Amino acid sequence: MNPQLAGLEDLEGTYVFDLHTSNRAMKLNRFLWKMIGTEARAHFSKDPENAMTEAGLSDTEKDLVRRQDWIGLIRAGASFFVLEKFARVAQRTNLEVYAMMRGETFDEFMATRRVPECR
Amino acid sequence: MAKIIGGIGTSHVPTIGVAYDKGKQDDPAWAPLFKGYKPVADWLAEKKPDALVFFYNDHATTFFFDLYPTFALGIGAQFEIADEGAGKRPLPPMRGNVDLSIHIAESLVNDEFDITTFQDRPIDHGCASPLPLLWPHAPDWPGVIVPIAINVLQFPIPTAKRCYKLGQALRRAIESYPEDLKVVVVGTGGLSHQVHGERAGFNNEEWDMEFLDLFVKNPEELTKLRHADYIRRGGAESVEQIMWLAMRGALEGEIRELHRNYYLATTTAMTVTLYEPA
Ligand SMILES: [Fe+2]
Repeated sequence: MNPQLAGLEDLEGTYVFDLHTSNRAMKLNRFLWKMIGTEARAHFSKDPENAMTEAGLSDTEKDLVRRQDWIGLIRAGASFFVLEKFARVAQRTNLEVYAMMRGETFDEFMATRRVPECR
Repeated sequence: MAKIIGGIGTSHVPTIGVAYDKGKQDDPAWAPLFKGYKPVADWLAEKKPDALVFFYNDHATTFFFDLYPTFALGIGAQFEIADEGAGKRPLPPMRGNVDLSIHIAESLVNDEFDITTFQDRPIDHGCASPLPLLWPHAPDWPGVIVPIAINVLQFPIPTAKRCYKLGQALRRAIESYPEDLKVVVVGTGGLSHQVHGERAGFNNEEWDMEFLDLFVKNPEELTKLRHADYIRRGGAESVEQIMWLAMRGALEGEIRELHRNYYLATTTAMTVTLYEPA
């Protein structure tokens, strides 16, 4: 256990991205990361199933990507910072992704914000 | 000899870049943010530093997790701004000073700070989001940047104390550079926010204010905190505030806070501060 992180076990809704997670979910994260490339984006848009198979995703991971299950992807070990690259391809803003991760509608989530118009 | 004349703390929220590119400077929801940068931009225009050293973090753009440097220094005459999935931004590449960057690399490594170097790689919103709010970019940027990336994404990440020490080592590097350059050190990130999990949207204004006060008066206290403390108090991704401590290390000693703007609109406490040695 990394002593810098000790004591977070009971912190709900937080999934620390460490080398254990990174190592376990390397293929998924690489697939999401590649969305910063125009070619990878075009390939995924045209043929998502093959793009996922070529990236070596498991059936579970493919399903999470297909359903754009953001919290599921985080639980499967995705780093938010590559997840947001995929969100651009999926035409979702970060605010929309936050709402979905919290299990709220976009309007519900924005109602909890101080300046909901700031987007 | 080169000299550090001040420090800037700033958020690097990607949506600041999006709002900037869309021209939302006068939009009532965004104006408090953009107006808050004006005094800092004015100060920079008046002081005319030659270089801004940026302690920032890459967001898995320049580097991927298969090879993720703890500390990495960019070297090049220019740095492209990265496409992060939404296409290229309408900004010129950021400018660099090869000799200055190399001197800093040599000084840090000889000072037992074995930093990684990178060349010819685009840089993401960690630097590029706040930069146009600080410096004009037309016809071109008025100075160069020295990008120093700190891993705050994939744990283990450096301790708060190590970041502070990196800043101290940077100061020795700057002050041993033979040219009379004026340098400003920028620490980016924060303040409170969390962008992943069901806890996304977490903020803590009280802690943010405490952080800003301790930052000036008692930074040592902040270097003693563990990552878990930052995560619990300010939200998971607020741990990147340790990059401000690198800037504080470079300004070791007494400092004066000349400006502070704090705007918590949606999910990140967007903050900009300006410091001068006292
Ligand atoms: Fe960041």
